Amino acid sequence: MDAPLRAAMDFPILSLIVLLPAVGGLIVLALPRRRGELVLPVALALSLLTLGAACWLLASFETGTAGFQFEEQVTWYEPWGVSYHLGLDGISLLMVLLTAFLFPIALLASTSITTRVKGYFAAMLFLEAGILGVFVALDLLVFFAFWEVMLVPMYFIIGIWGGERRVYAALKFFLFTALGSALMLAGILALALLAGDQLGRPTFDFVELLGIDLGRAAQFWLFGAFALSFGIKVPLFPFHTWLPDAHVEAPTAGSVILAGVLLKMGAYGLIRFNLTLFPEATVDLVPVLAVLAVIGIIYGAVVATVQKDIKRLVAYSSVSHLGFVVLGIFALTSQGLQGGVIQMVNHGLTTGALFLLVGMIYERRHTRQIADYGGLATVMPLFAGAFLFISLASIGLPPLNGFVGEFLVLLGSYLSLPGYAIAASLGVVLAAVYLLWAYQRMFTGPITVEANRGLADLGVREVALLAPIVALVLFLGIFPKPALDRVEPAVQGILDRIEMTTDYQVPQFGIEADLPEAEARP
Amino acid sequence: MNGSLTFLSVAPEIALAAAVVLLLLVEVTFKPRAGAWAVVAGAGLAAGTALSAWQWVAHRGADAGTFWNGMIAVDGFAALAGLLVFPLAGLGLMSAWRLAASQGRRGAEFIALVMLAAAGAHLMAAAADFIMLFIGLEVFSLSLYVLAGFTRERVDADEASFKYFLLGAFASAVFLYGVALVFAATGSTTFYGDGGIADYLAGTVIFRPGVLLAGLALLLVGLAFKVSAAPFHVWAPDVYQGAPGGVTGFLAAAAKVAGFAALARVLTAVLGARADDWVPAVAVLAAVSVVVGTLLAIVQDDVKRLLAYSSVAHAGFILTALVAGRGGLGDMWFYLATYAVQVLGAFTVAAAVSGDRAGRSPLAHWAGLGRRAPWLAAAMTLMLLAMAGIPLTAGFAGKVAVFRAAIDAGYLWLVIVAVLATVAGLFFYLRVIVAMYLSGPEEAAALPAGPAVGWGARVVLTVAAAATLVFGIAPWPLLEVLRDALPL
Repeated sequence: MDAPLRAAMDFPILSLIVLLPAVGGLIVLALPRRRGELVLPVALALSLLTLGAACWLLASFETGTAGFQFEEQVTWYEPWGVSYHLGLDGISLLMVLLTAFLFPIALLASTSITTRVKGYFAAMLFLEAGILGVFVALDLLVFFAFWEVMLVPMYFIIGIWGGERRVYAALKFFLFTALGSALMLAGILALALLAGDQLGRPTFDFVELLGIDLGRAAQFWLFGAFALSFGIKVPLFPFHTWLPDAHVEAPTAGSVILAGVLLKMGAYGLIRFNLTLFPEATVDLVPVLAVLAVIGIIYGAVVATVQKDIKRLVAYSSVSHLGFVVLGIFALTSQGLQGGVIQMVNHGLTTGALFLLVGMIYERRHTRQIADYGGLATVMPLFAGAFLFISLASIGLPPLNGFVGEFLVLLGSYLSLPGYAIAASLGVVLAAVYLLWAYQRMFTGPITVEANRGLADLGVREVALLAPIVALVLFLGIFPKPALDRVEPAVQGILDRIEMTTDYQVPQFGIEADLPEAEARP
Repeated sequence: MNGSLTFLSVAPEIALAAAVVLLLLVEVTFKPRAGAWAVVAGAGLAAGTALSAWQWVAHRGADAGTFWNGMIAVDGFAALAGLLVFPLAGLGLMSAWRLAASQGRRGAEFIALVMLAAAGAHLMAAAADFIMLFIGLEVFSLSLYVLAGFTRERVDADEASFKYFLLGAFASAVFLYGVALVFAATGSTTFYGDGGIADYLAGTVIFRPGVLLAGLALLLVGLAFKVSAAPFHVWAPDVYQGAPGGVTGFLAAAAKVAGFAALARVLTAVLGARADDWVPAVAVLAAVSVVVGTLLAIVQDDVKRLLAYSSVAHAGFILTALVAGRGGLGDMWFYLATYAVQVLGAFTVAAAVSGDRAGRSPLAHWAGLGRRAPWLAAAMTLMLLAMAGIPLTAGFAGKVAVFRAAIDAGYLWLVIVAVLATVAGLFFYLRVIVAMYLSGPEEAAALPAGPAVGWGARVVLTVAAAATLVFGIAPWPLLEVLRDALPL
């Protein structure tokens, strides 16, 4: 490695990325009360700086290597084996980019917040810092600290600036997530001490933990503790009930971040920790997770179809889409995992945009009931166009981004779990049903409610909010290669590890060795 | 042992006792303003802290020893207790200053009692003999009984004080009976040295340990009462709710520190050889405490009562560290020290919100506090989040520390019970936050004005918030230091 590059690698860019929004939050809090007009520009500036740093990461990220890059490690407390260890691979790179990309948009979409503005923007920035920390932490205790601390700003965002039932929704959100993470904490501590038995000293370091040999039973229980926490966050089927409430009651920007990034933390955790630390348990428990994922896909879609509230509809569609992500992950194939990761990004973009759009119409009419709209396309053509475009991307229409992710997930899961893949493809059809039907009821035909006649179409600010998302949706749909190139080595590394530590063979096209049909053949 | 050290071994107690005598003499002779009380009390506590610091530097680890015929131990354990209890008493006095000043000439007695309680608490930690421990316990407890009922105009404060006294006296009797049975089994009340209990137990195989075990159990019950561990906690909610707001914080913090210091020394150093007998009992006590404390806290509508039940749960968390025996002592100290500061801070806010003399602090008083008194609400939020164990607060580091110790000792089930209780605990901590931030009328004008906060309370809250954040973000230096805080 040459000198300038080494210097660049030694620069603690990941710490900077986590610290920038946190410092921004403190600056916003410190602004004098009289200068309320400064709050949004300052918050936006800091989140844009973070985005800039993330873009720098993207530019200097070495494509084609599986290991962690930009690593920083400082021992914190030797007797516990805690170190401040950050690092980034292709999967976390995409998550960091997605987070850094969505936050400025969410902040700019928050102009309707008028009470306790300083607190709101500070909470948003602290939330960003926490989320970014989750995606770059490589020490389990540091990871857990970020994971848990990020609940606090989100709790306040829902609870203070949310809708009518905000207190209930915020509490439900907090308690559900905390329940999962509490058991994960016990799991993390147990894992560190198990590692201590083998290495002679306890460690919370993710990379070191990869090297220890856990027994089958230990893997099983630890997998359960971690998966429960991540499954609640994703949310996986029986643990999803917090999500519609939180989404519906959260302010627009809160919903954007909740759907866009927060849910991804669960899926990210499953990939990063469950698949790598507990490979044997992963292989054994694939059917359980796959069944829950498929139930989530279909159940989420069916429930979304019958919603009368457009925000609730989008919320349930998240349950369905995240089901695809989990199915892709537990397909344990290269295509499935890559598809899952790409689908995480896609869902963040499209669902984030859908929540933005719902927020925009809500600001105009203060109702989210689908029945209160109708024929909006005649008065708001631009809005209708954007809604249709994003809906189509969400449904997975080629050449938009949703297609790439869902196609890869279905392809990958067909290789290893054909039955599940076929059932899951029903979800794609249902997505078309609920989104297009909603579009039809809200936008097509004559105007049914007089109050809608005078609605203004999208303003410059609103177009500016949507334009970057639309551009990315198109770009990732037509040319997903840059994203896939960065994810592929990381995914391959995870699968190699599973193959090495268990007798599982990753199925590939043309090699029938592991297809269930092949086993059944005499 | 070293003769010149004999008096220095009890120097912190001497300093405090001298300050108390001086305070009362000055009070009756000159009838000075309240400021003079502060000078004397501050000097006494500062001297106590400085002498404890000297003991810490000079006598932890290898240089530790016992004095006065094995009555007093000077070791890292006792020195740390002093370093913790005396500043806590100072903060408690600041928090209660307006209450003390409002009591007219009786204010000096109030201050004297707080300082006597601090001296007693330190004596409990430094005692190397059951008789000495009992004396410390009584000095400490009697002071607290009076403090709990100090404002005599309210009937419920009298009730709190009386209840505390009766049950406390009962617990002391139980403790004393335990001492007697241990004496019967081992032939000694001294902890260390030739013929001491630790020595006897390490060198003798007791074939019929019935008397010893009964004594051990009674000791455990007596001290569990002091730290309000379930099922010996029933006094705590009534006392915390009835006692005047200003003093409840000190009451709660000091009782935990003193009780756990004594409990830890007795269990790990004196009865360390019988760890197999008491560790399961402590584990059960811990589990019962976290579950009972948490569940009962959920249904409370009064913040002081809620904090009382939460302190029962916290007693359980601290006991969780003790199942690891000596290895868990550093973790216990960390949790104890940070929790004591948090609980003092939380009760200081409660006193500001509901009044220094008021007993009750119903949730309705807290509505809209976030807009009426943003700093007060922010401080309370930080304390509550720390008690709930949210990362970046000292509460999280403490929880990780004690859970780690317990898992290391093979008590995974206890940790699982404790983490589940932690989640349930969020529910009631968040209720207070909901009241402060998420309720009340939308317009700030419709709310009553924020409560006035005295300078003393400001200092206490600043210190508590700073400590909670600093030891939450970087707990390692303190954890490192506390590993030296071991009993002989």
